[in-house]
Amino acid sequence: MTPARGGYAVDVPVINVSERARREPASVWSTFLAFGVTLRRLFLSLFKGDMPTIQYPEQQRNYSERFRGTHILTVRDDGSLKCVACYMCATICPAECIYIEAGEHPNPEIEKYPRRFDIDMLRCIYCGFCVDACPEEAIILSREHHQSAYTREETIYPIEKLIARPGIDMKGPGYRPNRPFAEAKLLDRQAQTTCPYPSTAGERHPAVLYESMILKRQ
Amino acid sequence: MPKITINDQQYEAPPGKTIIEVADEVGVQIPRYCYHPDIGVEGSCRMCLVEVEKSPKLTPACATPIADGMIVRTTTPRVQQAVRYAMEFLLLHHPIDCPVCDQSGECWLQDYYMDHARHTSRYPGTQKTQRLKAHTLGPLVKLDRERCILCTRCVRFTRNVTQTNEITVFHRGHASEIGVAGDRPFDNPYSVNVVDVCPVGALTSTDFRFKVRAWFLQGTSSICAGCSTGCNLRIDHSARALGGGAPGYSATEGTIYRTVGRRNVEVNKSWLCDEGRLSFHTMERWPRLRAAREHGSPRTVAELLPVVHQRFEAIREQYGPAAVAALGSATNTNEALFLLKKYFHNRVDFRLGDEVETYRKRQDDLLRRWDKHPNTRGALDLGLGGDLGGLRGLREMAERRQIRGMWIAFHPQLVGEDAREIVDELRRLVDALEFSVVSATHDFPWMANARIVLPMAGWAEEKGTYTNFAGRVQITARAVAPPGDARPLHLMMSELLALAGVQVSADPAAIFDWIAREVPLYADMDYDAIGPLGIVPPARPAAEIEPETEMVR
Repeated sequence: MTPARGGYAVDVPVINVSERARREPASVWSTFLAFGVTLRRLFLSLFKGDMPTIQYPEQQRNYSERFRGTHILTVRDDGSLKCVACYMCATICPAECIYIEAGEHPNPEIEKYPRRFDIDMLRCIYCGFCVDACPEEAIILSREHHQSAYTREETIYPIEKLIARPGIDMKGPGYRPNRPFAEAKLLDRQAQTTCPYPSTAGERHPAVLYESMILKRQ
Repeated sequence: MPKITINDQQYEAPPGKTIIEVADEVGVQIPRYCYHPDIGVEGSCRMCLVEVEKSPKLTPACATPIADGMIVRTTTPRVQQAVRYAMEFLLLHHPIDCPVCDQSGECWLQDYYMDHARHTSRYPGTQKTQRLKAHTLGPLVKLDRERCILCTRCVRFTRNVTQTNEITVFHRGHASEIGVAGDRPFDNPYSVNVVDVCPVGALTSTDFRFKVRAWFLQGTSSICAGCSTGCNLRIDHSARALGGGAPGYSATEGTIYRTVGRRNVEVNKSWLCDEGRLSFHTMERWPRLRAAREHGSPRTVAELLPVVHQRFEAIREQYGPAAVAALGSATNTNEALFLLKKYFHNRVDFRLGDEVETYRKRQDDLLRRWDKHPNTRGALDLGLGGDLGGLRGLREMAERRQIRGMWIAFHPQLVGEDAREIVDELRRLVDALEFSVVSATHDFPWMANARIVLPMAGWAEEKGTYTNFAGRVQITARAVAPPGDARPLHLMMSELLALAGVQVSADPAAIFDWIAREVPLYADMDYDAIGPLGIVPPARPAAEIEPETEMVR
């Protein structure tokens, strides 16, 4: 193993395989050594239960909390969609996989809701831009990554499938960077009633300004 | 002429103009909410404040007439600060519900906030005044009082333009809000114009609400085909697929989502009537004709056009040239009608009903006219009609076997219904003919007995020129693609003429050049010179030119 500049900007150790092969010639002994490793792993997994692999799909690994898997549409307390059909996700989506049809909500406070919200999972590239763009934290990603289906139609997820499906309960939510803001908006009444931004930086209040203008004119 | 200096640049302008008018003409940007060139000055929004030399205070540019030697500055720190504070006050109680607001993307608050304000709100969200939201003001207009900035453009529209005075400001000071007295419906025939003039999302169109976000739309300047007035409008249509996942969504044909008035001081100022504005929905009222058919069996247009030509030639040989005629309509473009006239050797009529008698008659004091065809004047200018006697005359001739083969190009009326008599006459005409070719936009029941049915492009699907009641030649543009196999009439006619041995370009501009050479009224006209606002042909006698602007108060 000799450090060499392999065309990288920094020094990277490069392993010269043929040189190493010359230094360590193959022998019968090393072959048996390899069989020994195999036998030891066999023994360990058979009798000690020490398995380096898992029984996928019965067993599944737990992914990172920031894993970007299949989408989830979040709901309000009453079970209605949080989504207000603002089309931010459909606008930012580089794969154009989100299709929304907006409708008039009976409650004028909410005003707008998605009558249809389809995501084509075959087009989606799981970049998470839709989650970043969402002003309501209505769309988040889950840790689920199974989208195998028998037909293409099944891979277009409608609202019902985006709200609830077995995979969400099994794997849980994944990428949702706006969660702190969304929760603060909901829970922190204090933050809502007090003025969070007292003034813009270095700028005087209009009243002060007018006063100075009047003084100047006098 | 007074000389006025705006931002160290000297301009000359006729006396009586205001600063903002001069600035608009020379291209100096002055922000404004309440000022609109067609509805009078209010001076309430304080956005157009400019600094005029020797004036102690900032002056509203919309309400200040120019004077000789006036020195105006629009970009000084004082002006910028004033605009900024005006914006801060306007946005003080703004709900910032841009995600659900239909104006988002074309909102003047958003634009001017980014251009001039960019402040952080000093007002906590929960203490903002809550007002009426999503209130149905009329059948076509919804009101959101939280978003309203009280520019009173809508109030002045109903006061000065329609003179119906429905919308007004109620209460005073902070409690001011717009509304209609007694909660009567706001339903005058020009009501949606208040949505156009509203600079914010306070007034939204029920028809367009939540259909699509503004930034997905692409605008195409065109002409309304609802009546002979020929109002200028912008067609907002889909620019691209709104999402690949939706089955059945086609990015190729495109959809029209709305039409918006386009300013042409000579014709319609900035206004459109509600019927004309919503007339694009007429195209969806009946099933569209997507494929050609012969005797009811499906064929393509390309293989049927030679058949049509052969049959017409055979009838001409057997019964004389007078046995073949055509019936266009005043919804066809000048180009299509001209080529129709060329192919059918002047035996072309366009009169379905009483277009010629009514095309100048007003329906009201503003824009609407009784003739619901956009190109009656153009058809008359091209010399169509003559002694054929319109639809009725052609039907009688067909029943007397004087006419045996006919091409019928039919567009439905975009505003209102086609009269029952016209549909009956058309059915009788088709039944009486030996060989009938119907090119139509929709699949109507009356053409069931036609030999050959050809799908034709409708309004907003073809390019060409219309001549409005006053003789102004204007360009109608193609915003969306015709459905299926449908083609514009001028394209089919240029192919038929090619079969007859006359080589014609299929380009409307080239056909219009031919018109300019042959039709004396359109002499010396150039298609490229028509532009977005249209021109009155220079050869037209002054006595024939109708006063157009008189229509708008």
